[in-house]
Amino acid sequence: MAYDGKDKVLEEVTGKSYEFGFTTEIESDKAPAGLSEDIIRLISAKKEEPEWLLKWRLEAFAVWQTMEEPNWPHLNYEKPDYQAISYYAAPKQKKQLNSMDEVDPELRRTMDKLGISLEEQKRLSGVAVDFVMDSVSVATSFKDKLAELGIIFCSMSEAVKEHPELVRKHLGTVVPTRDNFFSALNSAVFTDGSFCYIPKGVRCPMELSTYFRINESGTGQFERTLVVADEASYVSYLEGCTAPQRDENQLHAAVVELVALDEAEIKYSTVQNWYPGDENGKGGVYNFVTKRGICHRRSKISWTQVETGSAVTWKYPSCILKGDHSVGEFYSVAVTNNAQQADTGTKMIHLGKNTHSTIISKGISAGNSHNSYRGLVQIMPSAANARNFSQCDSLLMTDTSGAHTFPYVEVKNPTAQVEHEATTSKIGEDQIFYCLQRGIDAEQAISLIVNGYAKEVLNQLPMEFAVEAQKLLSISLEGSVG
Amino acid sequence: MDNAKPQLMDRPKAEAKHAASETSGAALVSALDELLGVQADVALDAVPVPHRRVERWKYTPVAAWWKDVLASEVQTVAAAGCEANPVPGLDAYRLVFVNGTFDAAASDLPVHTGVMCMPVSQRGDAPLQSADAFSPEESDWFAGLNGRYSQEGLYLRVAQGVELDRPILIHHHTCGAGVFNVLRHDIALGLNASVKIVQWSTAAAEADGAVNVLTRADVGEGARLHIDKVQDEEGTVRHIAFEDIRQGKASQVEVHTITVRGAWVRNDLAFRINGQGAHAELNGAFLPGEGEFVDNHTTVDHRVPHCTSSENYKGILYGKSTGVFNGKVFVRPDAQQTNAYQQNANILASDMASMNAKPELEIYADDVKCSHGCTVGQFDSDALFYARSRGVGLEAAKAMLVHAFIGDVLKGLAVTEVRLEVEHRLAEKHGWDVWSDHLNDDA
Amino acid sequence: MLKINELKASVEEAAILKGLNLTINPGEVHAIMGPNGSGKSTLASVLAGREEYEVEGGSVDFNGADLLDMDATERARAGLFLAFQYPVEIPGVSNINFMRAAVNGKREHEGLEPIKGKAFLDMVKKKAQLVELDGRLRNRSVNEGFSGGEKKRNEIFQMAMLEPELAILDETDSGLDIDALRIVSDGVNAMRSPERSFLVITHYQRLLEYIVPDFVHVLVDGRIVRSGGKELALELEEKGYDWIKEDIVA
Repeated sequence: MAYDGKDKVLEEVTGKSYEFGFTTEIESDKAPAGLSEDIIRLISAKKEEPEWLLKWRLEAFAVWQTMEEPNWPHLNYEKPDYQAISYYAAPKQKKQLNSMDEVDPELRRTMDKLGISLEEQKRLSGVAVDFVMDSVSVATSFKDKLAELGIIFCSMSEAVKEHPELVRKHLGTVVPTRDNFFSALNSAVFTDGSFCYIPKGVRCPMELSTYFRINESGTGQFERTLVVADEASYVSYLEGCTAPQRDENQLHAAVVELVALDEAEIKYSTVQNWYPGDENGKGGVYNFVTKRGICHRRSKISWTQVETGSAVTWKYPSCILKGDHSVGEFYSVAVTNNAQQADTGTKMIHLGKNTHSTIISKGISAGNSHNSYRGLVQIMPSAANARNFSQCDSLLMTDTSGAHTFPYVEVKNPTAQVEHEATTSKIGEDQIFYCLQRGIDAEQAISLIVNGYAKEVLNQLPMEFAVEAQKLLSISLEGSVG
Repeated sequence: MDNAKPQLMDRPKAEAKHAASETSGAALVSALDELLGVQADVALDAVPVPHRRVERWKYTPVAAWWKDVLASEVQTVAAAGCEANPVPGLDAYRLVFVNGTFDAAASDLPVHTGVMCMPVSQRGDAPLQSADAFSPEESDWFAGLNGRYSQEGLYLRVAQGVELDRPILIHHHTCGAGVFNVLRHDIALGLNASVKIVQWSTAAAEADGAVNVLTRADVGEGARLHIDKVQDEEGTVRHIAFEDIRQGKASQVEVHTITVRGAWVRNDLAFRINGQGAHAELNGAFLPGEGEFVDNHTTVDHRVPHCTSSENYKGILYGKSTGVFNGKVFVRPDAQQTNAYQQNANILASDMASMNAKPELEIYADDVKCSHGCTVGQFDSDALFYARSRGVGLEAAKAMLVHAFIGDVLKGLAVTEVRLEVEHRLAEKHGWDVWSDHLNDDA
Repeated sequence: MLKINELKASVEEAAILKGLNLTINPGEVHAIMGPNGSGKSTLASVLAGREEYEVEGGSVDFNGADLLDMDATERARAGLFLAFQYPVEIPGVSNINFMRAAVNGKREHEGLEPIKGKAFLDMVKKKAQLVELDGRLRNRSVNEGFSGGEKKRNEIFQMAMLEPELAILDETDSGLDIDALRIVSDGVNAMRSPERSFLVITHYQRLLEYIVPDFVHVLVDGRIVRSGGKELALELEEKGYDWIKEDIVA
């Protein structure tokens, strides 16, 4: 490389330890390691679940036992020992909480460190936060205000108790238990997550937000999220994730289901910065997530993700465009550094007439990492006049990293118009030099260039989130050019 | 997580486990051995038997192979009904293979200093090139079959600095029922040598069975190899073709694959670019009609710096036809300053046609320029209306757009007579009088 | 030659033409003027047979035949020509081959043999002079990389080649500088004859100084609200379209 400065900056940044790597010490109620019907019964009993849900879990478990962990991703990792994982860990609470003040002070401190203090969120940004720590929702704010509009925003456990009809009607309809190895596992053992329902015609007045966080050592995280937007409603949902530093690889296998009924719109934004492991890839989260939404007539689902964390990422937020005139969007920035590996992308399944989808994916590979885009655009015979545009760009920062593109295009209707474009290139030395010559240092220059490169995606994020995402990009990448 | 970096090309092995359970490869091979009366020593155990769950075969229907091809009785049919020259006006050396057998009477071999050009069976002690760890035989079961059963083909050696004065036409013809037509062409070009090859495959209307052709070429430093490959087979023969190309420093290789007709066609090209400054060009046009299936797989493996590759595949799908394009570009860690371009554009011209495309990039070096584009759509309705508003009939307007759409691929063909004949045959197949009428004379 | 009776048409379920009447006799030049969105270009597209436009009612008689019953190709061969507002680019199809297909299509319709190469080239040469279209453009792909003016000249060249009975010029003046406007107009005027009619669609009066119409019609909201001689265009230019609109309301 032409600039010594960059190497220096690279060392500085890659030498930077994980900012959010701290551990919260709270008494934990933890199940023994291993997975069996008994463990599932234990989880279900602990959560005082109805019989139908236990049955559903057990069926999922039976299916999972017949399945094989997928080999097809462009990932190389040691497959987790699923019998060595503890499937339930709930923070011990002394009693039912009546107000925010009763939340465990340790937990509150954790939130403060993450910079998402409920108080502050409440006061400054009007964001309602459903805080998930090791799978059990411990605090939810803004509930009353939302309740006035008929909006339900609560933990999945609570929803199972309070709104069983809604949960039962939609759970597993978008991601069936047998969909894949990880979704089956999640269906069997999920401990908590978020549930959101927006009634007909209601426009949710604030961004709904959930922060996930893996805390307990040796525990997996299996959240289950279900968002139902009834006819002509609108919601913007934010999901942020951080995990503390651990030496063992931690498993995360979440399922997110979105249901957009006729003319509804769901905007789902994720910023993921789970612990990526150290510079050799030691430690770090394994992130195997199934996210999918179904779009009914004239509805729209828009996924936006900024992925900077995890040692291994396997994630394809997808849209089933079932209704006529429905719209699916996927905007993604995925950054990998050091020994990180990501295999991420989307599936757009066009079933309805005049359905449109857009895919914008920006991959950035640094260090010795590997970053793959994998996407499917499928136009079924029923999808007359379907349109898709995909743009998948990869930026390489080092000669030891890899950028890969695996797009699948399947068209079975002649009125479809599908366009896919992909480019792979190196970060522009002339751009960097231009910045340097104008007195901008290398670190700042790279930050500028990368943010510009990812702008199309970052622009999709709600304001508060965009700022955080830009900060994250800077942390993971500033100067990490080789 | 210590060996986190995925290893290049290590993935078929993981798939092998999957596929083996589906169809027993050993049983198929022994059935074929019996059928063909061959005792060969090329083992096929290491390679997965094609199946939809094997990624390379995801979109390619092979079940019927086992049913039809292996169930049929292989007959030896006397060479008959083969056109003397499938490309009118082409002045070329000629090797004719009918059902895998060299037809000396119909052939015309070059007598040229520095050129050894003959059927494999007549080469004497001259050695064939052997497959290696990266040859298709190591990753593809059908290529393995070729290695096991092929007996005949073109044997070509062109010495340093020799430019062959005329193209070599290799004509494969298949006729009769239950034919298993296996050929392997073995080509090596010396320093700065140059040759143009036309591979033309035909089959009689009543023919059925399988055609399996593997072309292996070692293209030396500064050498140039152009292959115009045309598939125009009637009947129900299934055609699978492999190109195993190794390129030396500053060499240039072009393969143009035109599929005019074929019930089931799969082309699988693998380019290994081993020398700096080399250029590879892979172009194709396929226009399957009712019931036809055409699959184009390409792999370009950039192993050294400062090389370029360019791919352009165009498909127009009629009737109830299916097309597949799977293009893979590898850029290895050392292959800095690679410039790789890949384009696949498709038109679905009927309600029942479908297209599956998978343009892939795997990049392990940073100072590269790689891009691919892929489109699936229909005829430009504005252009059609414009033409019609000038009194051009709908079908003629479409034919005009087809010609424009695949024009850049056809223009790339190395031999003009081949282009004209391809245009003629396409027009004949699709009933485009407007083509033969006046589109070709550049007034 | 052309008789439009109570023509109603819509595009994507929006009604554009709401009962339009117009009669054009051989040799006449009619101009249709109107504000943006009044339906001028829709009329041109409907007459030329563009399929995205849905005819909801009314009839169009073209030389005794039902125009609406023909597809776009048939209309062209029957002698109707549309000079596009935005001529379409067709990469890979050379202008000359495109025209040969069109001319031969028409000849086939008339029961004639395809034109001979030499005769065709002579014809091209002669007609190209009319709009000063140079040889370079003739051999390029249809409209690809042409400037705005070159595209419009190419339209008139094509018109000259096909010798239609009725030519519809859809905002042919848009995007033309004064020189190009003169060339295009001269080409059109050279083709005026007692057998050939023109329908000139324009937003501005300027074009009508070069191609002088026999009749001027004002189209507002899908109907012809006023007709008159060429002086009507001048009046419009002076008073603007609001004058007409107010006039209708009043």
